[in-house]
Amino acid sequence: MAAVQETIEQVKSIDVDKYKYGFETEIESEKAPRGLSEDIVRFISEKKGEPAWMLEWRLDAYRRWRALKEPTWAKLHYPKIDFEDLYYYSAPKGTTGPKSLDEVDPQLLETYAKLGIPLKEQEILAGVRKAGEPSPSDAPSEGADGYASMKGKVAIDAVFDSVSVVTTFKKELAKAGVIFCSISEALREHPELVKKYLGTVVPQSDNFYAALNSAVFSDGSFVYVPEGVRCPMELSTYFRINEKDTGQFERTLIIADKGSYVSYLEGCTAPMRDENQLHAAVVELIALDDAEIKYSTVQNWYPGDKDGKGGIFNFVTKRGDCRGKNSKISWTQVETGSAITWKYPSCILRGDNSRGEFYSIAISNGYQQVDSGTKMIHLGRNTTSRIISKGIAAGKSQNTYRGLVSAHRKATGARNFTNCDSLLIGDKCGAHTVPYLEARNSSAQFEHEATTSKISDNMLFYCTQRGLSPEEAIALVVNGFVRDVLQHLPMEFMAETQKLIGISLEGSVG
Amino acid sequence: MNVTTLRTKAESQIREQFDAASASLPGTGWVSALRARAMDTFAAEGLPSRRVEEWKYTDLRDRLREVPAPAAASPGSVTVADIDAALGPVGAIDAERIVLVDGVYRADLSKVTAEATVIELMSLAAMLTKAPAWLEGKFASDGGPVVSLNTAFMSDGVMLKVRKGQDPGRPVLLVHARTSAEPSAIAVRNVISVEVGGKLTLVEAHVALDGAARGALANVVTDVTLADGAACDHIKCLVDTTSSTHLATWNTKLGKDASYSGFQLTASPALARNDINIMFAGEGSKLDLSGVFLARGSEHIDTTLVVDHAVPHCESRELFKGVLADRAHGIFQGKIIVRPDAQKTDGKQMSQALMLSPDAQFSSKPELEIYADDVVCGHGATCTEIDADLLFYCRSRGIPSDVARAMLTESFIGEAVEKIENEDVREAIGTLAIGWLRDE
Repeated sequence: MAAVQETIEQVKSIDVDKYKYGFETEIESEKAPRGLSEDIVRFISEKKGEPAWMLEWRLDAYRRWRALKEPTWAKLHYPKIDFEDLYYYSAPKGTTGPKSLDEVDPQLLETYAKLGIPLKEQEILAGVRKAGEPSPSDAPSEGADGYASMKGKVAIDAVFDSVSVVTTFKKELAKAGVIFCSISEALREHPELVKKYLGTVVPQSDNFYAALNSAVFSDGSFVYVPEGVRCPMELSTYFRINEKDTGQFERTLIIADKGSYVSYLEGCTAPMRDENQLHAAVVELIALDDAEIKYSTVQNWYPGDKDGKGGIFNFVTKRGDCRGKNSKISWTQVETGSAITWKYPSCILRGDNSRGEFYSIAISNGYQQVDSGTKMIHLGRNTTSRIISKGIAAGKSQNTYRGLVSAHRKATGARNFTNCDSLLIGDKCGAHTVPYLEARNSSAQFEHEATTSKISDNMLFYCTQRGLSPEEAIALVVNGFVRDVLQHLPMEFMAETQKLIGISLEGSVG
Repeated sequence: MNVTTLRTKAESQIREQFDAASASLPGTGWVSALRARAMDTFAAEGLPSRRVEEWKYTDLRDRLREVPAPAAASPGSVTVADIDAALGPVGAIDAERIVLVDGVYRADLSKVTAEATVIELMSLAAMLTKAPAWLEGKFASDGGPVVSLNTAFMSDGVMLKVRKGQDPGRPVLLVHARTSAEPSAIAVRNVISVEVGGKLTLVEAHVALDGAARGALANVVTDVTLADGAACDHIKCLVDTTSSTHLATWNTKLGKDASYSGFQLTASPALARNDINIMFAGEGSKLDLSGVFLARGSEHIDTTLVVDHAVPHCESRELFKGVLADRAHGIFQGKIIVRPDAQKTDGKQMSQALMLSPDAQFSSKPELEIYADDVVCGHGATCTEIDADLLFYCRSRGIPSDVARAMLTESFIGEAVEKIENEDVREAIGTLAIGWLRDE
């Protein structure tokens, strides 16, 4: 009951701090002029000290972006974004390559401390346990069984506005041969790896937002796990938008070489503002033979206030390529923030016997709009995929699952199981399901099921009759509803997620 | 620079045919104006391509390269025996019979014995010629490109009304027969209404008579309006052997406490697109839709349905089953919309395909669009080949492989066929479907 109890307490306490990451850090920053042109692209590239081929790559993307149109097929309604009125580059001043944490602006460290993200290497993620301690018996038990033996250490790459501030545990990772650094650093230190893999999963002209990102991305994380290495700790990136009127464009590239394993966590927050801010990230995952990548996200950008004012516009392209045989990529996402979410973490199952997984909890409240889902593209033989999506809509929000499962003619023995459930809380919200199934050979075996319902009166009655308040009852039912997905989250995120579920549903009772 | 709209050959043909035929099509005055408007509506967008979301899997612009000319008036040599022969088991159903030959109502071949106090039957062509003002409202202006084409070209059809509280007692069989030895296009519009408390079992059968040309195009729109408390079983069957293109639209509107059961058997047209649009306009109504689509060779069958729960307290059920052999492509798109305040809606949908050959294709897009919270809605979609375990079980019991496959396939579609309430109709449809399966 511990986890459930915690959520209930969260739900109770949320009146006071609805979005508790909404503060702003006053820090001097350096920005590129407003607007977007080839000069801005050159400026960004120069700032980063990138090789010439990278600049060409960016310019190519920029030209393609100019030719592309904004996608309008999603069930999203928002005012037109003026791409010429944004800052495309913002960096906290004086952070050009700090050698150690001591050189990092204390304001920044404080910001991350406030967010509960410890950057000092001796610390371990708050609320879990101290480093070196054996797994204590009173550790969070509910649903955490599978992770009890997990190492307590998490290496973090912190990205503030457009720039990576600091990456922790680098030495320890280097011992194992794992490269974990910001993508700017990777471009300097490991250009051959970046050149070989960048844009091979999400090409520059893949879509409008991916092209924009390719042209102006300022930073992000880079991970390379060499052959046969099991990454010794969880890797994590924490994204923070701070500066006003800036777009944030990160690019993450993760390569798991043959037989390797890596688990990667991503978290994000932003200050509360009345204006909408744009976030357009690209994440590329590449799993070679027998490799496995587990990618978990807790997306908690500022969702806007109760009247739908402000909030982040989140247009993200995430795609994993199971390039090698027997490879596996698993996406787990908890989407609670952003005014607009447009996000479809996908898997290309190219290698024979490869496997793709997608577990998602998308919670929308207030005037939030979520259009999210996945694509499972079966190309290799005997590939399998599994999709579990749980959408919860409350308030006046719209929550859409949009997904594609396709099997190529030669993808014999493809298997897919899809389950998407939606829960509606309140009569002003909407939940939609738009799945596409395309089987081009007879041995493909696809199963899809979707349900939409509200929390049944019977369940609520049963709970309240047992003495729970309506709020507690809803939290209990919702936690049960998303349990399938929660179980796939790394432990650090489970605690946070359960709190978020409470926070996101605030005001939905009644 | 001048911008010119590019038209495909088929689109140009359609425009030319309309200009040539519009003078001879039934109706003047508002009917002519209606046709011209519909033609303009169609021409503005042209044939739907895969860029149009509802036509994603059936690219008419690409597939309809040539449009045959509208059918000429039938020579009249068709006999009841010819029709019976073409109908096969469906002809044996004890029913009131209405026959359209090449898109024209034929009183001489029809036989309706029910009293005029029970059923009111009129030919649409006759009504269009009279053109009473109230008729204009029957033709929706925004039914999509296929319906617009139908409105522009409709030559005839039936207007059938079951009067208040009446029940004809036996099914009404509406036969769409094709005889033309030249490939031709027909456009038929049926307007069916069941008044308060009335009951109707309507069977639409599409058949080609011996000697009918291959490659014909049929565009049939059937509008059904059910008043409060009315009940209608609507069955359509098409077993084609003439590689025709079949575009069929059902637009059904349900009043309060009405009940509508629809069933469609579609077997072997070169290309079929079945659009089914259901609108719940009154509370407490029930819908049960089912269908079987059977395709082989390079045939293409698309079933696209939209169930619109605009009011509370309605229930909908859909079950569609497809059997796909060779390189056939089966498509099912089903959308359930629950409007704001349509509380207590109960909707369930299932589409399943059985693929008999390695190159068969199935595309499915079940969709839920829900704006009310107190609802129970769900959909499922599956596709696979015949289960090897089931096959093995049958064979271990001494059943030869091909017989076992046939048994399993028959039982697969049986679940949908069994939904037909009328026993005679159910048996006739079952016979047709099994006949197709055994034809391999």
